[in-house]
Amino acid sequence: MIENIRPDSLEELLTYLDQGDYYVFAGGTDLMIRKRQWQGAERRFDKAIIYLSHLACLRGIIETETHYEIMACTTQNEVAQSAILPEYIKAPIAQMATPSIRNLATIGGNVVNDASVGDSIPVFFALDAEVVLRSVHGVRRLPIEHFIQGKYHTALQHNEILEKICIPKINYDGFFYRKTGLRKASILSKLSVYVLFKVGESSMEDIRVVVGAVNDVPIRSREAELQLLMNGDVASLVAAYKNRMAASDDKRSTKVYREEIACRLIDYYLREVM
Amino acid sequence: MRNVEFILNGKAVSLETSLSRRLLDVLREDFGLTGTKEGCGEGECGACVVFLDGELVNSCLVPMNSVIGKEVQTIEGLAQTKRYRIIEDAFVMAGAVQCGFCTPGMVMATEYLVRRYKHPTNEEIREGLSGNICRCTGYQTILEAVKRVFEEVEDL
Ligand SMILES: Cc1cc2nc3c(=O)[nH]c(=O)nc-3n(C[C@H](O)[C@H](O)[C@H](O)COP(=O)(O)OP(=O)(O)OC[C@H]3O[C@@H](n4cnc5c(N)ncnc54)[C@H](O)[C@@H]3O)c2cc1C
Ligand code: FES
Ligand code: FES
Repeated sequence: MIENIRPDSLEELLTYLDQGDYYVFAGGTDLMIRKRQWQGAERRFDKAIIYLSHLACLRGIIETETHYEIMACTTQNEVAQSAILPEYIKAPIAQMATPSIRNLATIGGNVVNDASVGDSIPVFFALDAEVVLRSVHGVRRLPIEHFIQGKYHTALQHNEILEKICIPKINYDGFFYRKTGLRKASILSKLSVYVLFKVGESSMEDIRVVVGAVNDVPIRSREAELQLLMNGDVASLVAAYKNRMAASDDKRSTKVYREEIACRLIDYYLREVM
Repeated sequence: MRNVEFILNGKAVSLETSLSRRLLDVLREDFGLTGTKEGCGEGECGACVVFLDGELVNSCLVPMNSVIGKEVQTIEGLAQTKRYRIIEDAFVMAGAVQCGFCTPGMVMATEYLVRRYKHPTNEEIREGLSGNICRCTGYQTILEAVKRVFEEVEDL
């Protein structure tokens, strides 16, 4: 019989991970479903599970002078209701899943699971977040854009966990976030668009545009953002993003819908603020 | 297998179980608390929701590991409270129950709303019930029941 592990400390967790092959189990809202069985039956995992969400050191939100640090096992509701975090982080997370799922689902689980439809990932792309990965051998700190490598594919090594997500503090005037799906709640995104902006004395100072759930990884073009700041030409930015879209048809939506609506939403939002 | 201890509806309990067993199965099979239902088994329908340390969670996704040392309240535990009577009356008066399968989950979600808000907007009520699916009522009577609860509950 497979022995599941409840480590008493982070050190014990990392030692186990270094020596064996485990399912790392946080909130379980992806894992329990991937391993679903008939009614009443215990979920059958083909290798041992190591639990981590009971470890207090992996939960909580810390504010430093320069960053917000969200520990990996912080739940989505803890993020959405945080007294520390700004609205531009909380609002998109508050739209994920349902109230009871958000009490279980962790931020780290959404990032490591790395589904193309993971709704927190576009937000972290826009904010230039970094992930901190820890193993018994030490710590690695990577920009989120290097960590996320493809659909269900990250740079996480088998003996590492995601410890926290570090988000540089920025001064922003406003943001737009829109996720579209078959219904309003408890739905995986067909697409999402996230725009952050800062207005300077006489013109726009900073603008960031990210499209989620269209490609396998979120789309963000720093070059197009910079061009827009220089020439104010919204149509060119939309064309640059459109060029990078490679959506496909699946049970949630079609390529045409995803790309068309994403372009229109970017266009609409940018014209509102430019 | 290991010994798992937790508080269930106000009483300390313990049982021998595996850490990966679902709280839903332990409640229904080991404790006979069948008010908590299994609809979808994948977090979508809300028929299985319970309070875990005061937070509403889908017990079909909760392994027993997450329950160790915590407090679980099921619909049977809530039924012992004064506020449950108000919620029950409101559901009856509004005709919010047809087959009844979703009802325990709807009542738990209503209680969670009452714990969070004093005067919720319609939008907040809808969001609060967004994790609960009902195949019978069409939701209007349930929304009406929840609004009645908020009219009554100020007395408590
Ligand atoms: C009804 C329902 C609605 C949903 N709605 C949405 C939605 O709107 N948007 C959305 O994006 N997702 C949604 N999801 C998916 C899911 O809730 C999220 O992806 C969630 O954030 C996963 O977190 P978790 O803690 O439950 O992950 P788990 O299931 O515990 O883990 C997911 C994966 O990440 C790994 N992992 C977790 N934490 C760590 C860590 N710290 N270090 C290393 N590896 C780790 C696990 O090994 C596993 O591979 C929904 C799920 C359900 C059931
Ligand atoms: S049975 Fe748990 S949400 Fe449907
Ligand atoms: S009353 Fe039948 S499912 Fe809601």
